[in-house]
Amino acid sequence: MSFVATIGRIFLSFLASLGRLTIFAGLSASHIVRPPYYPRLLLRQIIEIGYYSLPVIGLTAVFTGMVLALQSYTGFARFNAEGAVATVVVLSITRELAPVLTGLMVAGRIGAAMAAEIGTMRVTEQIDALSTLATNPYKYLIAPRLLAALIMLPCCVLIADIIGVFGGYLVAVHKLGFNPAIYLKNSWQFLELVDVVSGLVKAGVFGFLIALMGCYHGFHSKGGAQGVGSATTNAVVSASILILGCNYLITEAFFSR
Amino acid sequence: MNEHPVKISLRGLTKSFGKKHVLRNLDLDIFQGDSVAIIGPSGTGKSVLLKNIVGIQTPDSGSIKIDSEEVVGLTGNARDRVNRNLGMLFQGAALFDSLPLWENVSFGLMSAQGLSRSDARQKAIERLQQVGLDAGNADRFPADISAGAQKRVGLARAIATKPEILFFDEPTTGIDPVMGDVINKLIVKCVKELGATALTITHDMESARRIADKVAMMHAGKIVWVGDVDKIDDSGNEIVDQFIHGRLDSHISNARLGTSAA
Repeated sequence: MSFVATIGRIFLSFLASLGRLTIFAGLSASHIVRPPYYPRLLLRQIIEIGYYSLPVIGLTAVFTGMVLALQSYTGFARFNAEGAVATVVVLSITRELAPVLTGLMVAGRIGAAMAAEIGTMRVTEQIDALSTLATNPYKYLIAPRLLAALIMLPCCVLIADIIGVFGGYLVAVHKLGFNPAIYLKNSWQFLELVDVVSGLVKAGVFGFLIALMGCYHGFHSKGGAQGVGSATTNAVVSASILILGCNYLITEAFFSR
Repeated sequence: MNEHPVKISLRGLTKSFGKKHVLRNLDLDIFQGDSVAIIGPSGTGKSVLLKNIVGIQTPDSGSIKIDSEEVVGLTGNARDRVNRNLGMLFQGAALFDSLPLWENVSFGLMSAQGLSRSDARQKAIERLQQVGLDAGNADRFPADISAGAQKRVGLARAIATKPEILFFDEPTTGIDPVMGDVINKLIVKCVKELGATALTITHDMESARRIADKVAMMHAGKIVWVGDVDKIDDSGNEIVDQFIHGRLDSHISNARLGTSAA
């Protein structure tokens, strides 16, 4: 009986957390569209999320593209299908690898930073101070981060697409001996708009989720340094799991027949 | 009988966290222009009371009126309108560590009152000078200055918008006695210059005597004594006597240890 009660308690606790998260997300999203707006804060977040993430995103994408070309070549060579390498690289990068890996890298970099910054503001009463200064913390802290992540993740993924495909091209042409013109032609020939768009839609969703998890866990952190540490860990773990789960759902929505 | 109107009126205020009852049917009137210190041992709910008044927390029941307007349940723009008339110095100063000092001080002027950045910077420098910090500090960040200087900046931020009501949460906690004295004097100066109503939460009797005209003793979630600061030594209230003389064998220590007082 106590086992069933424990399961029930965990389930109810999960539902309560889900409810709190949904209210937080709704409230935050509503403040994105309602004035006053903070363009300086939005710009700062855009630079932080987009510009400063570019090195890590670029490195991730170029090595992913290179490995993908190498692996698919060695695999396809077993049944004389080396010609499909370019297509496999471009489709894998645009549909899956660029959005997912960019999402995971940004979750580690930005989600953790958001949770730590907002969590520290919470435990040092800076968020309370905002309220006493007649400034809504959702509008000032959360809305610019959500909007910036929503805008910048697709931009980052577009750049990751280009760098990733370029990484595959480098290995294919300079190591595996592919003809550059034929490789590029094969890359373009089978690429459809939906391949790129699905990746960008994923990126937008992932960006929102990363910022939401970072802000939510930071905003509700308590108990000093330990609480902020937990908030940071929870933000990264929950964002990563949500990215992987949503990746499947969006793929299903776009490509299932 | 006070000739001034009631600025803040608290009636039947209760607040609990789980099974812990922090505020129990608390009543208090603060008149316009008064500087009131709420004293009491640590952990008796003084900061919770303050957070309920400024809207950071919501009481479980009871009424909080500021200028005769009920503020319990106010949210959004309505609450912001009330808060524009308040200024608060937090226990740890609570400065925004991503902003330079001048932006911290002028935050309310820019964010809530829409002042331009150049005008806000000028005002911020004036306020920093008012609390004894020169203009050269304007571009420094909170992490670059001492705890005492942070309190000064927090005070400058609290008075920046010239609010009608000022709140001070443990203004001398965490700083040395000399700096504590400086902060106390600055608080008295600022409150007088603004003609503001002030409410200070403290367990530092020296600070309470310096800052306040009136003292309210908080014990077990209630106000148990209110009187002029110069009458506190002859209050005739056992709990007040025990607190100001720091006696261990008392209602206060029994309450904190969870045993019943004799």
